[in-house]
Amino acid sequence: MHFAMSRPIGIVLGVLLAVHGALALAQSAQEIVAASDKIRNPEQPFRTTLTLTEYVSGQERSHSGFVLFSKEDGSGHFRNLLQYVEPPRDAGKRVLLDGRSFWFFDPASQASVRISAQQRLTGQAAIGDVLTVNLAADYSASLTGTESIDDAARQKRNCWHLDLKAASEIAVYNRVEYWVEQGSFRPVKGKFYSDSGRLLKIIYYRNFVERLGAVRPAEAVIIDAVDSSLATISVLGESRFQDVPDAWFQRDYLPRLQVR
Amino acid sequence: MKGWGLALATLAFAGMALAADEDKDLDLIPGQPSRPEKSDAPKSGSLFGGEGRLFVENALTSTAVRNDLLVPFPPPLPPRWEERFFGDARIEWPLASNAHVAYSGRLSFVAQEGLGFPNRGNVTNDLREVYASIEPQPRNYFDAGRINVKSGVALGFNPTDFFKTRAVVDPLTTDPSVLREDRLGTLMIRGQHVGEASSLTVAYAPRVTNPSPVAVDPYRGFNPLWGRTNGTERWLVKASAQLGEGVNPELLAYWESGKWQLGANIAESVGQSTVVYLEWSGGRQLGIAEQALAFARTTGTIPSDAPSVFMQGNNERFRSQVAVGASYTTESKITFNLEYHYNGAGFSRSDWDRWFAAGEGRPDSSPIVRGLWYIRDYAAGQQEPMQRNSVFVRADWVDAFVPKLELTAFALVDAGDGSTRWQVEADYAKTDLWSFGVLAAGTTGGRHSNYGSLPSEASVLLKVTRYF
Repeated sequence: MHFAMSRPIGIVLGVLLAVHGALALAQSAQEIVAASDKIRNPEQPFRTTLTLTEYVSGQERSHSGFVLFSKEDGSGHFRNLLQYVEPPRDAGKRVLLDGRSFWFFDPASQASVRISAQQRLTGQAAIGDVLTVNLAADYSASLTGTESIDDAARQKRNCWHLDLKAASEIAVYNRVEYWVEQGSFRPVKGKFYSDSGRLLKIIYYRNFVERLGAVRPAEAVIIDAVDSSLATISVLGESRFQDVPDAWFQRDYLPRLQVR
Repeated sequence: MKGWGLALATLAFAGMALAADEDKDLDLIPGQPSRPEKSDAPKSGSLFGGEGRLFVENALTSTAVRNDLLVPFPPPLPPRWEERFFGDARIEWPLASNAHVAYSGRLSFVAQEGLGFPNRGNVTNDLREVYASIEPQPRNYFDAGRINVKSGVALGFNPTDFFKTRAVVDPLTTDPSVLREDRLGTLMIRGQHVGEASSLTVAYAPRVTNPSPVAVDPYRGFNPLWGRTNGTERWLVKASAQLGEGVNPELLAYWESGKWQLGANIAESVGQSTVVYLEWSGGRQLGIAEQALAFARTTGTIPSDAPSVFMQGNNERFRSQVAVGASYTTESKITFNLEYHYNGAGFSRSDWDRWFAAGEGRPDSSPIVRGLWYIRDYAAGQQEPMQRNSVFVRADWVDAFVPKLELTAFALVDAGDGSTRWQVEADYAKTDLWSFGVLAAGTTGGRHSNYGSLPSEASVLLKVTRYF
């Protein structure tokens, strides 16, 4: 039997098949990103120490330490509360990073100041957000292809190369290129772009260790792509699950936070 | 078929080339490969058994003084040089898992023109805070002692910051956003409940002594200056609620000497880079000149039946104070603040004209001149603008030109006469422990203007700070 199909119907079916195929691919790309998110951070609230070492032209320049309290909200975004532990000039300062609500508290002035998403990036505490961001919640992912790239330890990794476009108001970056190891879903590398398409940061995830109930990256190398002589190594140290009440994520709690 | 093969080969080559490009990024990774065995917990140093911040600073200031003032400044003039070395500490000691005591203070060694050496004025101790805090139930707090209670969301002027009055002593900067860092707390008891998305605070500050005169005694030594912070009985009730994502308004009611003032403040993000904010307070008040006169009589600075040298002519009535503004941060880490300030008790243009007319041509020893400058000293102590309308602009550039260099500049402009108080500061964090700074400040304007009639024309401050 010969099944004759008219040309227009063929085109429509072809387009539908292509769209279906694209949707399937997009869904799987989103799932890859979501699986990788789960590798980086757990779903339960937790507390961890975070140490940042800044380098200028390869030389250690400064050191910051934080205690970070993090909790995922119902929509898959992390709410973060950080206190500076070091350097001594910043000890005791606190930052609330919660969706579109950002507050900075300085115990010297006992003042809480509201800051914008952009102003948050002027301080090191913003790295807390970079590390806990659930990319699947804020970005729409598509699969660019597969590549074999070196990880931070120069070991070859077969990766999915994903292209992420900001899909929510609170996405910090406009676009992210993301490499996730096939099979393990471990994040290997990310490239973060501004609204104007400028490459701002390159992040390598490394030192996968048992932490908060799974094997997760304990370190991220954050390279400033605007001034490539600048880089920051962030290390997530002592971590434990801890109840973090919703009441903590408001400005009036900031002066009351105790990290003991 | 040949064409497909070529295309696939090209794509494969392109993929390899791209991956090779990616691998070049590895050259930007500093230091050695990670060492998992290394201890990476942040080190929080112990300060006398507690936690907090301790630093010493040396600040050398040189000031240029105007000598052509329309209304002469009664002696002594501001010192033309000052050398100040101080230790500054803010420490919390845990008493239990739900209780701690806190101390905050500054011990200064001062030498300045006209002060003399050695004498009691060379050493001063500012006891900013000392209090105990307990959390008997989760997120219910009770505090007692000298506490610095701060309210407000604006940068240049905080109408709802009711405990700011007379709390600043010997400032090293005129930047209003920094002035609150070195100010005295108030002896009080305070209770606070922090709910799921709301907070309620009640504070009571008793009157423990008579209010002290406006002028700060340079020979005060270790005097805790209770007369500046607890010369009257005061109550504060404030409540805030999380109404939506990030919308967190605060309402305040403040009582002092039988008078209520109400206040509100709110700050909201607009887009990625902007925050807008509004702060208001209002209550029955005298004009600033009448307030100063009443205070001078209360403190015995002038006899209770002495006539006023200057009156604004306004009776007690409902007056508002407002600060409304916005901040904007650029991708290059510069944050700009632009604010409009309104002080319903402040001087109008005609008040200024009469102030100058009352004092012009008189000698600096004249009681009228002293009275006129007393009003301005009183207003400065209140941490409120003397003028009715002003515009505040501030820029803060983090990592300016080089990492860890912070440049800050502000201008406070009297909208009535265009005169300006300004300041430019550069602060360089050379290491995690050492900072170096230079600060230039001044006032500009005609002789017949608010800021142009102040005795200090310009000053330069050099400072070195060591943190521990």
